[in-house]
Amino acid sequence: MSNKRKAIDIAYQAITYLASSVSLLALSMIVYFVWSNGSGLLNMDLLTKDYHAKYYNGEMVEVGDYSTTLRPSDLDDDIYYSEQYGIGLSDAKDREGNPIILVEYIASDSPMLKLADRNSEDIIALEEGMLISKVAFFDKATALRTFGAEYMVNELDSATDFREIVFTSLGGGIRGSIITTLYLIGMTMAMALPIGVFTAIYLNEFAKKNRITSTLRTLIDTLTGVPSIIYGLMGLAVFVPLTISVTPATSGNLISGSLTLAVILLPVIIKSTEESLKVVPDGLRQASLALGANETQTTFKVVLPSSIPGILTASLLGIGRVIGESAALIFAIGTAVKDDISIFGKSTSLAVHIWSMMTDEPANIELSSTIAIIILMIVLVLNITVKLLSKKFMKPMQ
Amino acid sequence: MDKQVFNIKNLDLYYGKFQALKNINLTIEKNKVTALIGPSGCGKSTFIRVLNRMNDLIEECRIVGDVHFHQDDIYHEKFDVIDLRTRVGMVFQKPNPFPMSIYDNVAYGPRCQGIKDKAELDEIVDKALKSAALYEEVNERMKESAMDLSGGQQQRLCIARAIAMNPEVILMDEPTSALDPIATLKIEELINDLKEQYTIVIVTHSMQQAARISDTTAFFLMGELIETDNTDKIFTQPKMKETEDYITGRFG
Repeated sequence: MSNKRKAIDIAYQAITYLASSVSLLALSMIVYFVWSNGSGLLNMDLLTKDYHAKYYNGEMVEVGDYSTTLRPSDLDDDIYYSEQYGIGLSDAKDREGNPIILVEYIASDSPMLKLADRNSEDIIALEEGMLISKVAFFDKATALRTFGAEYMVNELDSATDFREIVFTSLGGGIRGSIITTLYLIGMTMAMALPIGVFTAIYLNEFAKKNRITSTLRTLIDTLTGVPSIIYGLMGLAVFVPLTISVTPATSGNLISGSLTLAVILLPVIIKSTEESLKVVPDGLRQASLALGANETQTTFKVVLPSSIPGILTASLLGIGRVIGESAALIFAIGTAVKDDISIFGKSTSLAVHIWSMMTDEPANIELSSTIAIIILMIVLVLNITVKLLSKKFMKPMQ
Repeated sequence: MDKQVFNIKNLDLYYGKFQALKNINLTIEKNKVTALIGPSGCGKSTFIRVLNRMNDLIEECRIVGDVHFHQDDIYHEKFDVIDLRTRVGMVFQKPNPFPMSIYDNVAYGPRCQGIKDKAELDEIVDKALKSAALYEEVNERMKESAMDLSGGQQQRLCIARAIAMNPEVILMDEPTSALDPIATLKIEELINDLKEQYTIVIVTHSMQQAARISDTTAFFLMGELIETDNTDKIFTQPKMKETEDYITGRFG
């Protein structure tokens, strides 16, 4: 009999072990996949550079203004150095395998740092990391990128002037999407947090326990479970036309996006705030009232401060939701990846950026995975912050 | 001189259909300690909450009869409850300091009444803490959380918090039931000092405590006020048989 009991116990335990290992495995696989694909692209440039390559078209400001810097000794052997213009170039290949010429080094007195933009009055500069497409001369053939870096350097050094140099920034950065995400977090929380917290206070502290209140609560519960794409449709049908009619916006924009996100967050924030209000001991409310404070003073001076850990958790969960939301935003803002961010214009959050990359032809799994790593890291940091802050605030409550 | 602080006549109290207090008649005298004793569920805690209208918080609670605080009918519809609660303070069974600093706890009541002047608040807080015999222990750590105090200190802080409102009456609902004997002794000594200035009504489970600290004792049983008299008399020669049975430990 006891043997049978033992066998059953072991079987039950084995099931729990098995289940935990399966979930652990699934999670580690996600992290492994994302990391192995995306870690290669992960660097500061990615975070700070524009996504779209910018074309520049420049010419010498003053002929004869040449660099005096000699080739630096620490420059790699595969870099070709133009002594006259003080730039080091190398051959490389882009993602599609086409040859490109990469600017590896620029001397501090290089004339390329001060070029006249042929399309405007501005002064533009060649920067390290940019690509040179071609250099055109007055009296000889143009040096194209397909001829290689060595040819271009030789041609440059054997000419006293050139007609134009066409170069582009590298592009592929996600600065715009990061800024959009920050905008969305800020604007969404600014709308959803106060409304959500005050609604929760009303429901928990002031509302009479009647049918209207309980219906309202059921409604809010239901809203938590609505798929976000439906909110996205609502954003497209209501907030996009609304923002177009009252702001300079002409299409889906960050305001319509954050309004949609705010609606998604409201039930989440209301629920978790209410939960945290419920656990505030009744003794505190009574003590406050017994001291001659009225209900409003009791709520805002005693109950609300006591529920701050809960509200904090709610807002960090909300921020996590904003970072992770994609379906609703595809409708409510659009999917255009932008570098110049305006709250009245289109642009994408990090999550939608992934969506855009993966719907490109060919799909850019590498960059998508890199963005995924960034999102995962932000979520991780948020979670740790929640834990630390709740611990800090919960301590005086016990 | 008005010696009667509270005058209760023919008080009935219902929770929904359940009658928790039946025909209570009692006067509470100025600068006396009145102890309310009786077995659990006898209505003594309900009764003490009548005096500062804390029962208002309970939906379905209904009151019939007269409760006069000095000349005012406190259940009159035009009576100002907030004003009543500033004049009748309360200390609860479980120490319930607010999760804020010691100073802010004591200053809470005065601040709610609109006192903002720092010097004035400082004076009120110091005075209240001194009256509650807590000043020496906390005067170096006013900005620390009240939650870090011991249970007995927390309860004295709650008393200080009530005193800071400068009330006439302090209601205490079993203030020592969650405390150890030493902390209890301190609170009892404190109550003895406080009755010079305040009228105190205390609910207690401990008959020894009632005997030690009170001037008048009221014995409640099943929602009725069985007997009220000088404490000495109640404990030595009670008039009613139920009182005698209770204080001699035959039930309860």
